Amino acid sequence: MKQSEDNFETLRRLLALKRHESPPPGYFNSFAGQVIARIRAGDETAQEEEVGSLFGESSWLLKFLQVFETKPAFAGAFACSLCLLLLFGIVYAERPDATPRTALLAAVTESDTAFAAGTSPALPPSPEPAGLMVSTNPVLSLEPVASLFGQQNPLAQPVNLSLPSN
Amino acid sequence: MIMAEPAARQDLESPAPVDEEVLVQRSRRGDLEAYDELVRRYQERIYATLYHMTSNHEDANDLAQESFIKAFQALKSFKGGSSFYTWLYRIAVNKTINFLKQRKNRIHVSLNDLDLNAEHDPDLVALISDKTPRREAGLTELQEKLNAALLKLSEPHRLVVVLHDVQGLSHDEIAKIMDCNIGTVRSRLFYARQQLQGYLSDYLNPR
Repeated sequence: MKQSEDNFETLRRLLALKRHESPPPGYFNSFAGQVIARIRAGDETAQEEEVGSLFGESSWLLKFLQVFETKPAFAGAFACSLCLLLLFGIVYAERPDATPRTALLAAVTESDTAFAAGTSPALPPSPEPAGLMVSTNPVLSLEPVASLFGQQNPLAQPVNLSLPSN
Repeated sequence: MIMAEPAARQDLESPAPVDEEVLVQRSRRGDLEAYDELVRRYQERIYATLYHMTSNHEDANDLAQESFIKAFQALKSFKGGSSFYTWLYRIAVNKTINFLKQRKNRIHVSLNDLDLNAEHDPDLVALISDKTPRREAGLTELQEKLNAALLKLSEPHRLVVVLHDVQGLSHDEIAKIMDCNIGTVRSRLFYARQQLQGYLSDYLNPR
């Protein structure tokens, strides 16, 4: 082994030349700073990627928003259509006869009141609410129930509850 | 500046292992100031190894930076079985070997300048004036031939020569870095030197 070391002595001297190869002056002054800056930049990129991955789950939304960015006219058209839809909704909601369900509820309430009072209200001939009532509440009927109580019972006699005076 | 002088050779466990442990612990918690200190501590040795492996300053710079970044990201997996320096060295060396395998046939040399001390190095002066058959060869030419010869070696053989004969690490330290036994290090070193002697015979064998 010793002999082989001696054999390579000249080579080792030559290899010593490699130790004299040095980077540009001041190179190591900024090296650590660059590494730390890249680590910080990597952290920021990782955070951005996390946000990106959240959006990635709904990529259709991203594509939709990208269309807005590339075509402003499309964004304007979309906004207009949203406004029109909102306006239509408000106007439609304010029309009194436009909500059959509201009318139906009003009719049912009126019917219940009449049932309790023993009168026979004249319901408007509206087959739609009646049919709807049958389908949703088969027990309740809109038949003119007042006829059961509206007629005088022939067996019933009036009772005088006045007490004789002494 | 002289990189990794054998006389100033530093042990893998130095300097100040306690301080290093503290710095590593702080770095693991994301303290970039502590990691900055670790980078400053080892940047020259890591860069020098990677430069001697690639013979290219730009590649060595990129690889060294990426090695430090990768080490920071992997600090949580560092269990302390070896010293931080050995672990860092292993990351840098593996990264460099992978890089060299990828650019196998696209070798681009970008050598650093020799420092002024080279002209006054008695070993080198003697080598040029006395023993080198081609006495007209200047240091720059010698440098180019030496780098070309090193690049002809396989990566593991080049690494052993660089770590031992250029950077002055012991067989044991090299074995830890390369994750092999000392016998393998010795045999690789012997073979690599033989190869180099053959490539550089014009500059080594007396007439």
